[in-house]
This record gives sequence, C-alpha cells and structure tokens, in this order.
Amino acid sequence: MLELHRLTKHFGGVRAVDGVDLIVNPGEVLGLIGPNGSGKSTTVNLICGLFPLTSGLIMFKGEDISALPPHERVTRGIARTFQNIRLFGQLTVWQNLWVAQNSAEQRRQNPVRRWFGGGGSAREDIGRTLEFFDLAHKRDELAGNLAFGEQRRLEFARAFAAKPVLLLLDEPAAGMNAEEIDQLDARIRTLRDTGMAILLIEHHVELVMSVADRIAVLNFGQKIAEGSPAEVQNNPLVREAYLGTATAA
Amino acid sequence: MVDLAQNTIDGLMIGSSYGLLALGFTVIFGVMRRLNLSYGPSIMIGAYLGTFLYIQQGAGPLAVAGAVVVGSVLAGVYVERLCFAPMKAGAAIASMVSSFAIWMQLEQAAILVLPRHTYPFPPLSTALPLEFGPFLLRVDHLMMLACAVLLAFAVHGVLYRTRYGLGLRAIIGNPVAAHLVGIPVRRSVLIAFAGASAIGGVAGFLVLAVDQQVTPMFGMWATLKGLVAMMIGGLGSIPGALLGGLLLGVVEAQSQWYFGPQIRDLVAYLVLFAFLVMRPGGLLGEAPKVEIALPQGT
Repeated sequence: MLELHRLTKHFGGVRAVDGVDLIVNPGEVLGLIGPNGSGKSTTVNLICGLFPLTSGLIMFKGEDISALPPHERVTRGIARTFQNIRLFGQLTVWQNLWVAQNSAEQRRQNPVRRWFGGGGSAREDIGRTLEFFDLAHKRDELAGNLAFGEQRRLEFARAFAAKPVLLLLDEPAAGMNAEEIDQLDARIRTLRDTGMAILLIEHHVELVMSVADRIAVLNFGQKIAEGSPAEVQNNPLVREAYLGTATAA
Repeated sequence: MVDLAQNTIDGLMIGSSYGLLALGFTVIFGVMRRLNLSYGPSIMIGAYLGTFLYIQQGAGPLAVAGAVVVGSVLAGVYVERLCFAPMKAGAAIASMVSSFAIWMQLEQAAILVLPRHTYPFPPLSTALPLEFGPFLLRVDHLMMLACAVLLAFAVHGVLYRTRYGLGLRAIIGNPVAAHLVGIPVRRSVLIAFAGASAIGGVAGFLVLAVDQQVTPMFGMWATLKGLVAMMIGGLGSIPGALLGGLLLGVVEAQSQWYFGPQIRDLVAYLVLFAFLVMRPGGLLGEAPKVEIALPQGT
C-alpha cells in the first residue's frame, strides 16, 4: 500500500527525518512512536504532501507520489487527521464532511448536482459516517461550537469521509478521557477490519500497544526499531530512547 | 426637500456601481485576506479593450461589455499568477506591494497603446430619464442598480449554496486543512480571482457607459472607490460591500450638492475616517483581529 524509501527531510541544518524506510499494508495498523521531536509528525506531513521531500521516495499503490500536490494525494486515497484540531469552524458538522468527500468520486456525479449538494448516495454516505462517529445529533451544529471530544471525533470523521484507503492519524487520542479512548480503539479496529491501512502516531502507549499490529520507533529522525508490540517493548534501544520518560511502558 | 430626495436617488444609483466594485474587492479580500491594488487597473485594461473595439470596429454596447469583462478577467488572472499565486501564506504585504507595481505597469501599458488622455465610450442607453412626480431617474442608472443587486445575490448564492462556495469558505477558515481534505486550493482561488475581476468588469463597463469616456486614471479611481466602499461596508461581507457602496454614493451626492465637487471627496474620506475610528469592522463586517507585536523589553 504505502512504501517509504529513504525518506529524508532537512529543515536548514536540522535532520527532522533522516532516511526512514517504512511499509504500511492494507488491513494493518502501524503504530509510529518516538520521543518528542523524533520526526513522527514530519513523516505524516511528508506523506500527505504538506512540504516537499529533501530526498527519498514515497510509493503509494505502486506509484511514486512524491511530487503530487496534497489534494491529489487525497484523491488517490490518503487522508489524515491533525494533532492540533483543524476543522472548518464556520461550517456545520455536515458541511465539514461534505467538503471532504473524495473529490474523485464526486467528479463522476452529474456536475450540476455536485455543485448544488451532491447526489442521494453522497448524502447517505455522510449520514452513515455521522452515525459511525456518533455525531448524527450534531449534524447542523457549527463545528467551532462542538465540545473538544466531539471535535476530535469530527476530525476523524472528516478524514474518513474522503474514503481513504490509507488513513494517517496524528495523535487522535490527545486530550481524550479513558472512555473516549476505548471508543477510538474500537473505531480504529473496525476500520482496519474493512481493509484500510492505518498509520497511527500516538503518545498514549497503552492505545498503541493494544491496537497496533506492528510498531516502528523513531528517534532523531531515524528508525531505531520495528516489530510486534512485544518485540518493540523489549528492545534495549527503545528503552534507551525513552529513558527518563515515564511512558516507556 | 426635493433636492435632498433627488440627490439621495442619484447617490444610490452611483453608489450601486461603487457597491459592485466593492463586491469584487470583497471576493478577493474575503477569500485571500490580501489586498489587490491592481484590481482597478485590471478593469481599466478591460475598459481599454472595450473602447478600442468601439473606436476601431464600431462595436455595440453588448460587444463592448463582453470585451470589458473578458479583458478584466485576463488582466486579473495575470495579476493573480504574478502577485498572488507565488506568494506563501502570510506574505500579504509582498502581494500588495507587487500588485502596486503591476498597477503602474498596466497604467503605462494603457497609455502606450492609446496615448490620448481621453477616449469615448459607448453609452448604454440614450433613452430620456423617467419622470416620477418631481423626480428624474436615468435608465442606465436603473440598470446599474439592478446589476449590482443581482450580482450580489449571485455571489452570495455561489458562496453559500454551492459546493464550490463551500470549498472557498473552507479555504477561508483553514487553508492548510482545506488542502488536506482534497480541495484544489490554488484552482479555487484562481477561479475566485477571475470571478471577482468579472464583477469588476461589469462595474467598470456600467460606470464608463454612464460617463461615456475612459482615461488611464480610471484604474486608480476604481481601486479607490471599491476599497473605500468595502471598508465602510465591512471587510469580507457581501451585503456590506453593497451597502457601503450605496452609502458612499449618497454621501458623495449630497456633499457635492451642498458643498461643491472639491469638498465632495473630503467628506467621503471623513466618513471613512469616522468609520475606521469608531467602527473599524465597517457596517456589517467584523473588525479584523490584528495582533501587534510589541518590541520585547522596555
């Protein structure tokens, strides 16, 4: 599905990401962890095209997408959430999803209907998405007025509405309580079981250990370990990288 | 009393053209939060194309109107590609300054191609003014008002009733997220720019058809009137743009009648000044939240 080859990004003299190789397969959750500033978010930003690579390759479904602009990567099936929530606060919950629906799919619709609200199936899709993310009762509320947990759910829902085959989740559990994290865990599993590939960046180690099939660990922009949750937990390099932080499980 | 009422009517009519100019401005400013000083000069380029066809080919009003709109859109897209598309987010000042440079360029180009100071422009309607009791209404003025109201509704409809408009509002709300949910941001902005220039072209044609002459100064005039009307009406508000234009027109008409043409612009700018001091967001807009960076330490 997604293959990163020697992915590298330098900001001035800082090697934010330095030659990282990663593979994410369909129907798999890959957890990406590491101390603060280890290059996790930069990796996600590179995959979705927020800024250009210094060197390396991003292969998606067998094609090199390294030079594509962000919106075309979305069209090909890559969607993401943000660590700090970036909703369209002036639009309603429903509109936030509508605007995010996969534009490739929309192009196949009658252009007149597309302009004025989309066909019936598009509306049904959004309805189902709202149900799945438990937001149906909020559909006409402005996104900016939602409670924090609801905004997190809407972020996730908006990424899902683009009908991605690869979902990039950048710290989806940040600021959530235990119950919300359980729901998040269940949703990620459901999506994985539909065959979606999921790259999960998360500080909440319990969640990653529970839901991830494989885990890769970054430190100073380099991959220092990769394997099953149990293998990674017992890796001495990982313990060293996390030394002094209580979350090192 | 009759004078006062007649002045108000004339002011509203002229003001509707200011409202149209402000409408185009608002579409650009509302979407990009950037000031396009070349907005008026782009329209002037369109107007010169129109008057060129009129002088050389004897084109009728409709053909001239079409030429003005097409010319404005082409010049507007040229400005967007040159001054706005290459600039990164946050480089609003760079865009504004470069649009000022293009203003000079367009003005000089117009003077080179048509070196005489004034050129004739075809009238829209030569019908006699309509009489309503003691009041007179010019037919071309009425057309101008109708166009302004119709286009304001059209812009509002596109922004709030269509998917394209929803995308634009998403871009206004959060450009980065808009990119990453699959909205083609650059294309959407270019279309908005072209649309704004087309509105400006319509406004320019109507104003010039009433004046029946065009000069290179028209570019500066259009930028100024549109800008002042937009600031009075409220930055980024569509009904505000129209209202601001109408208010500016009435203020000008009244002050011209009572104080003469020299004082007219002074009064108009005083009104703008009063708005900026007492209601910086304008009639219907929200005051922009400007964060002033104070120097560190004392």
